[in-house]
Amino acid sequence: MSDPLLAIEHLRVDFPEVVAVNDLSLVIEPGDVCGLIGPNGAGKTTTMRAISGLQEFTRGSVRVAGHELAREPDELKRRLGFMPDFCPTYDQLTTWEFLEHYARAFAVPERAERIEECLELTWLTDKRDSLCEELSRGMKQRLVLAKTLLPNPQVLLLDEPASGLDPLGRIELRKILLQLRDAGKAVLISSHILTELSGFCNKAAIMERGRLVKFGTIADLGHQMSQRKISVKWRTAADKALEILKISGAKILEASAVGATFDFDGGTDALDELLKTLVTQGVRVAEWRGVGDDLEQIFLQSGAKELM
Amino acid sequence: MKLSENPIFLTHKRLVHRGGVLAAVLIAALIGFSLLIGLLNSLSETNLGWNHRSPEYVGKSCYAWIIGVEILILVIGGFSRIARAMQEDRKAGLWDSNRLTPLKPSEIVLGYWLAPALREFYMAAVLAGFGLIVVLVAHLPVSLWLGTQTLILSTAFFCGLLGMLVGMAMQKSSGILFVLGLIFTYPFAFIAPGRILTNFLFPIYGMVNLFHVREHDWSRDTELFGLPVPAIVISLALQVAIGWFVWRVLVRKTANPFQPLLLRWEAISIFSILVFAQHALVWGGWNEAEYGSRNEQLLCITHGGTLLVGLAMLMLASRPPEQVRVEAMRLGLQSVAQIFSRSSVSLALALGGVSALAMTLQFYTHLANDLSRLGVAVVNLLNIFVIFSLLLEFCRLRHKRRSLGFAALWLFVLAAVPLILAGVFQSVEIARNCLLAPGFIALADGRDFPPLHTVNCFHLAIAVFIFFNWRRQWQKLLQRAA
Repeated sequence: MSDPLLAIEHLRVDFPEVVAVNDLSLVIEPGDVCGLIGPNGAGKTTTMRAISGLQEFTRGSVRVAGHELAREPDELKRRLGFMPDFCPTYDQLTTWEFLEHYARAFAVPERAERIEECLELTWLTDKRDSLCEELSRGMKQRLVLAKTLLPNPQVLLLDEPASGLDPLGRIELRKILLQLRDAGKAVLISSHILTELSGFCNKAAIMERGRLVKFGTIADLGHQMSQRKISVKWRTAADKALEILKISGAKILEASAVGATFDFDGGTDALDELLKTLVTQGVRVAEWRGVGDDLEQIFLQSGAKELM
Repeated sequence: MKLSENPIFLTHKRLVHRGGVLAAVLIAALIGFSLLIGLLNSLSETNLGWNHRSPEYVGKSCYAWIIGVEILILVIGGFSRIARAMQEDRKAGLWDSNRLTPLKPSEIVLGYWLAPALREFYMAAVLAGFGLIVVLVAHLPVSLWLGTQTLILSTAFFCGLLGMLVGMAMQKSSGILFVLGLIFTYPFAFIAPGRILTNFLFPIYGMVNLFHVREHDWSRDTELFGLPVPAIVISLALQVAIGWFVWRVLVRKTANPFQPLLLRWEAISIFSILVFAQHALVWGGWNEAEYGSRNEQLLCITHGGTLLVGLAMLMLASRPPEQVRVEAMRLGLQSVAQIFSRSSVSLALALGGVSALAMTLQFYTHLANDLSRLGVAVVNLLNIFVIFSLLLEFCRLRHKRRSLGFAALWLFVLAAVPLILAGVFQSVEIARNCLLAPGFIALADGRDFPPLHTVNCFHLAIAVFIFFNWRRQWQKLLQRAA
């Protein structure tokens, strides 16, 4: 079995008066986009800085594509791209010159072509000759993203990447992340705005006070939650369907002639059995979906606080 | 990687050029041109302006002005520019961003060292060109130009490294610090110019010496341990030796910023170089009739300088207790004895040992009849170093963010309060209890002072008292770590 692209084991970061990250372990495979979720001060940025080597950690290990940070920091630098939550740019350089600086530093082959590609990918081609200081915050954010993508890293750490982007920018960011996912990259993306992450994260890591509260695929985490909210729509036999739901122990929240929303305490198997019963009893089910099988629901049920 | 391919160098060069260099170069050219015209004018009409001075004198004066401006621009301006570039890039996150690239730490340091002060370098180069013309026109030896320009360039490189260090270690503007350092050190340096280290590290003596001025203090040959060594060689050797250590610090901190600024062996090495070099400069003075009486004073200056450098080394090399705690957790250290070798107290003892050795050599060779003075001075030096390091760590452990204020308070109580009280009660006895007093009194005055031994014992008792409190604080911290 090949190494995961990013493997963190028992990571601990101590600050003078507080344990910023405590015993954090997670694994991210190729093609994973993992949302690192948590309230302010949960330790998301510290975790990312520790993974990238910018923050010293007390214990634990970080491996990127099999290379351990403590032993092979240079190998790690070639394989990992870190986009911080602010935009470090040389204000007096043009966007092209800024990218050229990093292309040289990473010894990117066919520098000019790659810079053009990254500018195009982040919709900055028409700003190639603008000074960095003339760019808006959102544009700077895109420029730093372009810089992060420049050496084509296998693992990307994106700290609040959408915080300065307008709605269109966020949609485009989502497209880029989906492209990266399809290209087999591993992406760890932090945010406390959950709607930003919904839709393209297949994994989630929920942090609170430096600890990892939950980690897994979105589907698994949804299933782990003790109580699930289900929405069902039917075309026939509404009365019969409602009766089956009541018998199965579902707590009906809303009901109408065409469907219902209910809370269900049973596990995944019991839920599957319920659906099977409805169908075999002649209820024509038109729609069956979990409400809140998304990050927001998972986050709320994880016990973490201060959700935005 | 060649310098012409170094992205840090290229980017900062680009930034300097974008900020404009032509106007700066023209200003330098105008200064040089004005002095050259002045020289030509005075050579053709010797009665005007220069009060019947010889062409050689006028040429030297013009050239001295040129190198003065060069030093101001390249050495002081360059230092400030490099420190600021580092501070700004650190603040903006660009330093970290560059550290995350596969560039070697030495390549990053090289880029920051050489590029940000390029404008100042261009200006200095123009002035150096005019300087050469002035030297040739005034029929001065070309070795004057060559020697002074070498020293200016080497000092610019040396101060550039110091600028990087300041930019890396400090948050706020460092200009004030630099000026304060100069104001504080230089008055002492003129007491005996050829025998004070700072005049060689910042090579004022070497430069003035090349002008062959009439004042004996500035024109005599220099010696190390009584052996003649040209001033320019002493300056270059010192700058290369200390510069090499600074370079190591910069590269190491770039690779891993969580390490202390100075490793213990680096602190001891730098301290040893400076202390032994200073003693080596004073060495030959005992044989000269005119210097013999002044050497008592020089010993006091050497003692003061040793204290200053030692305390600076202790501050730079001592690690915050929290860092030691984290390391203790990592390595599973549990006893204070294991911490002792990592604390600045053991370093204080090592530095005290080095200075004791240097001073003992000096006394055994030249003042063998006065060993009781040596004893008082050495014990006092050890007391000061140990008390300082104990207090620094105790306050860091006990008072955390307010540690600096409390450390200053206790040092003030030990070093300044006895002097204030001595002034109020007009009593020399009280003044002797000042932490700094025994060493200076013993070295300045040839007479034996039995009470000074008692004062040293009193200070030693204070050190022991602080040690027990220091140990208790460490035990508490280690318990927390466990």
